[in-house]
Amino acid sequence: VTGEKHLPHLKAARSSAARFLKVLRKCEPAINSQVLILDLLEDGFGEHPFYHCLIAEVPKEGQTGSSCTVGYAMYYFTYDPWIGKLLYLEDFYVMEPYRGLGIGSEILKRLSQIAIKTNCSCMHFLVVIWNKPSIEYYVRRGALDLSTEEGWHLFRFDKENLLRMASGE
Amino acid sequence: AMSYVVRPWALRDLKDVMRLIRVSIGGKSLREDGFGRDPKFGCLVAEVPPDQRSKDGHTVVGYGLYFFTYSTWKGRNIYMEDLYVMPEFRGRERGENGIISGSPSETKLMSKIAENRCSQMKFTVLDWNRAAIDFYQSHGAVDLTAAEGWHFFHLKGDALKQLARGHQGQ
Repeated sequence: VTGEKHLPHLKAARSSAARFLKVLRKCEPAINSQVLILDLLEDGFGEHPFYHCLIAEVPKEGQTGSSCTVGYAMYYFTYDPWIGKLLYLEDFYVMEPYRGLGIGSEILKRLSQIAIKTNCSCMHFLVVIWNKPSIEYYVRRGALDLSTEEGWHLFRFDKENLLRMASGE
Repeated sequence: AMSYVVRPWALRDLKDVMRLIRVSIGGKSLREDGFGRDPKFGCLVAEVPPDQRSKDGHTVVGYGLYFFTYSTWKGRNIYMEDLYVMPEFRGRERGENGIISGSPSETKLMSKIAENRCSQMKFTVLDWNRAAIDFYQSHGAVDLTAAEGWHFFHLKGDALKQLARGHQGQ
């Protein structure tokens, strides 16, 4: 990466499952072992998408017309019967060498535009409270910590639990 | 003994579900978002037979509103947005299909989970709601906010509009 600012080129990855897989492998190399690739593809690019993604690309140095992926955001829509549809940001990642160039901001800008365009009243996401840089990044942009402000706690039932409850134990 | 069924909601349940939700975005939106071409959520209702109807004459006595979420690590998940049973129908004996009353919607949610290859179910509870926290923890739920520091953030209103215009905050 040279000193000049690379203008990020954001693509909606709907039409390119292969591109999404490529950026995932770069950003989260351990992922192959967690979710079957076929499931990821069907769930994101099949008839009924369970998620959507934005991919950030920068021009490849010295290779005109060629680009490489350097970050992505994965999101989907959730629902609150009091206020309607929400945009939920599940993954948001920019590769280390490409941070501080405005790529993350550009991704957030596009996401906000998508949220507004699709009539979502807000964007939700989770952050680990001890991750100070992330907290600052979002608070600076006007995000509010609902867990602290209103007392919301996230709970989870894992698969084992679910099966146990389903069998009536 | 109380008997009831838990089933997916139908258009005819809209009024009952709105009654149980009490405050909502409105019938028109709920109908479009729940029954339109691209549903934004699913809903299960708990119904008792007419001879066991509520004090004010209702047979739909509970509901569970859910939607699917996604994780690149774990695939499909289910998120339980609302779970509500009318107070007079809580804490009863085991129902016909062997579930502890108070969580009648959960078993049907379980089968949704199995059908849809979901690996976990998530939901939120307010930290002062001791009864709910105890209930869920007794069934094995983990408080991820307490255990792992996960906090919910939201960006809305002016902050969202500013971001959409490309402003990066102060």
